[in-house]
Amino acid sequence: MASASKQITTNQNFERYAYMFMRLSGIALLFLAVGHVMIQLIVNDVHNLTLQFVADQWSSWGWRAYDSLLLILAVPHGYNGLRNILEDYIHNERLMRIISIVLTVFVIVTVIWSLIAIITFDPASVR
Amino acid sequence: MKASLRVKRYNPEGGGKPHWGEYTLDGVSQNDSVLDLLHRIKWEQDGSLTLRRSCAHGVCGSDAMRINGANALACKTLVARLGSGDSVKIQVEPILGLPVVKDLVVDMEPFMEHYRSVMPFFINDESVPTDGRERHQTIEDREKFDDTTKCILCAACTTSCPSFWANGKYVGPAAIVQAHRFIFDSRDKGAEERLNIVNEQFGVWRCRTAFNCTNACPREIEVTKAIAEVKMAITSGIV
Repeated sequence: MASASKQITTNQNFERYAYMFMRLSGIALLFLAVGHVMIQLIVNDVHNLTLQFVADQWSSWGWRAYDSLLLILAVPHGYNGLRNILEDYIHNERLMRIISIVLTVFVIVTVIWSLIAIITFDPASVR
Repeated sequence: MKASLRVKRYNPEGGGKPHWGEYTLDGVSQNDSVLDLLHRIKWEQDGSLTLRRSCAHGVCGSDAMRINGANALACKTLVARLGSGDSVKIQVEPILGLPVVKDLVVDMEPFMEHYRSVMPFFINDESVPTDGRERHQTIEDREKFDDTTKCILCAACTTSCPSFWANGKYVGPAAIVQAHRFIFDSRDKGAEERLNIVNEQFGVWRCRTAFNCTNACPREIEVTKAIAEVKMAITSGIV
């Protein structure tokens, strides 16, 4: 008798995707965030971390893409972690829903605002 | 050797607050279990000390308690594990996260409610095999859920879980272990229904892989691994 696997279909649910996002973004952030810290603070001395350095870096679209990806993954990752911690302590469902909505709006605005800054930044204006 | 025990006491009838009871026992052996010492306190010093126990051999799961800060069965925890030399200090509390009824006895109903919610019973409405006997299973298929058949529902895992402490609505490790036992049984047909139950907001996603449950399990079930397998079954759609 052969060992058999069953195919099953489960309901879609936000918590499931939030959990998967945390795991996958966590792996990506391990490289992106550590790389960012290494480049900004160790390879380039922290005392040289000026606007000119950022302008030089962002003259390359590759670095803008790197920083945009870091932004898009890190902010929602932090948001979801905070939401989980708050859910542990706030058992009033209505209050938790309000806090979740406020946090979600904050995250969306922060990501969009920061993306606009990264994309529209003109390195030539610094020189 | 001498044993000094601090036992968390609580009597709701007297209207008193929880407090520590201090007891000293002489002539304690390294081979005595914590349950033996609690029996000696109850029988020799204070008959009002209340605790649950039944088989006293790690099978019934009645005497899960917090011993020196970690969940364990009192009957399986030997003095030798807690200290050596001429004296040993032992602190005993009821398991956390469930309402205390009296002293070391907790109300297990919230735990059992989560247990029942995952439908911990065999589901298969198909007709019986033509020979009228048992439904066969390969050794490999049996192996998939062998570990989770060992659960004795002592609640040591669930009540060691920080997610459960934070929110009692979380179904908890023990209920997920019970769900795992049937989800991965090739003869069972209720996997989809059970997975949808533990896929809810207070299901497996509340597990933060703290591993407290695996450390606490007196049956040495790899609880966190079982939870991970259930999570994987939900995300992959393959059991």
